[in-house]
Amino acid sequence: MSLQTPRVLPSHLHAFSPSGPRSAPPVRLLGTVSALRGDTATITCGTHGDVTLILKPDSHLQMGKLVEVVGKVAEMPEGGLGIRVLATTDWGNPASCDYKIYEKVVDVTHRLKPVFYDSAE
Amino acid sequence: MDSYGGYGGNSFSGGGGGGFVPGETTSPSGGRQEGNNTTLRPVTIKQILDATQPYPEANYTIDGQDVSSIVFIGQVRNISTQATNVTYKLDDGTGEIEAKQWVTPSDEMDTTDDLGKEGKDRNGVEINGYAKVFGKLKSLFGDRKVINTHCVRPLTDLNELHFHFLEAAAVHLFHTRGAPGGVGGPGGKVGGGGDAAMGGLDGAGGAGGGGGMFPPSMSATARRVHNLLKTEPQQNEGLHAQFIAAKLGLPAPDVVRAGEELINAGMIFSTVDDQTWVILEY
Repeated sequence: MSLQTPRVLPSHLHAFSPSGPRSAPPVRLLGTVSALRGDTATITCGTHGDVTLILKPDSHLQMGKLVEVVGKVAEMPEGGLGIRVLATTDWGNPASCDYKIYEKVVDVTHRLKPVFYDSAE
Repeated sequence: MDSYGGYGGNSFSGGGGGGFVPGETTSPSGGRQEGNNTTLRPVTIKQILDATQPYPEANYTIDGQDVSSIVFIGQVRNISTQATNVTYKLDDGTGEIEAKQWVTPSDEMDTTDDLGKEGKDRNGVEINGYAKVFGKLKSLFGDRKVINTHCVRPLTDLNELHFHFLEAAAVHLFHTRGAPGGVGGPGGKVGGGGDAAMGGLDGAGGAGGGGGMFPPSMSATARRVHNLLKTEPQQNEGLHAQFIAAKLGLPAPDVVRAGEELINAGMIFSTVDDQTWVILEY
């Protein structure tokens, strides 16, 4: 089966953590860049809280922009889960995207296995 | 079509080939006949990869429905430009597939210099950008799938991507569970049903979500016919198939097939003749 990257919300990260039973696939996460600290950054995912990203040297994030992140879930040195970035896509102004729709998409993609992902968790 | 349909319309319905009409015997739900289906179906890449052919050289089917024209969205992973075609590799998170756009001679005349410039095609589709692809699903050498696309355009609004996924999900549910709403029932709206019903195998656990007593295995046409019989004012002898066909804007043979399906399920019964039906209320 080809590589799948399930879309998730911060509350689903634990299901894809590296300590899980199987090797977890990379995930996709949508959020607004709220802090940049050199090799790490923080994105805010609507009303679902923040997620810390471990950036790649060639990652270009801009403050306040909406980004779609593809990456592996990783355990952070300071505890908790973050995402080791593989790729980012800039979607511009967060106001132009309805985050509620994204929440629904995540919900639907994990309910309808035949349409979206083989095994989400 | 109408006068044609009345004349032996039961055995031969439209442009299928020769004496063998596949939908007739193999699928009781009466999928559309070959070549007739020109609907554009929104799909995910996983659905394309999972599409099957009922027999070699047949159209691909998704959820038991013939598909030819499809539309999907993906992130462009590669664009390779050859003399006669441009091949896009696309990934939407559910899978990865290639789409081929054949270059017509007139295109070549106008835009030879533009094609294949720095990972960007002449519509502005970029590598790692999202693109919406319209095309036809074809088989190549029997087992390989190719998409012959006639339009690849860049996608700039994230809402459109999300909408596409939801639309693909809605169309999938329509084909596997029937139209939303259905016959009363608290869980009439798709998504209103319980988690168990949604997460279960398709069709099997769907009754709870799909609404009331309508069996999930019924075709969408059967559901529409049943709804019309339920709601349309009528005499004691019920409604004739021709009337239903006109009312729903469906081909008569499809309605007849849906009627047979409903009769076999014991949901309607025929009255003055074989094609006049009344709902069986109990």
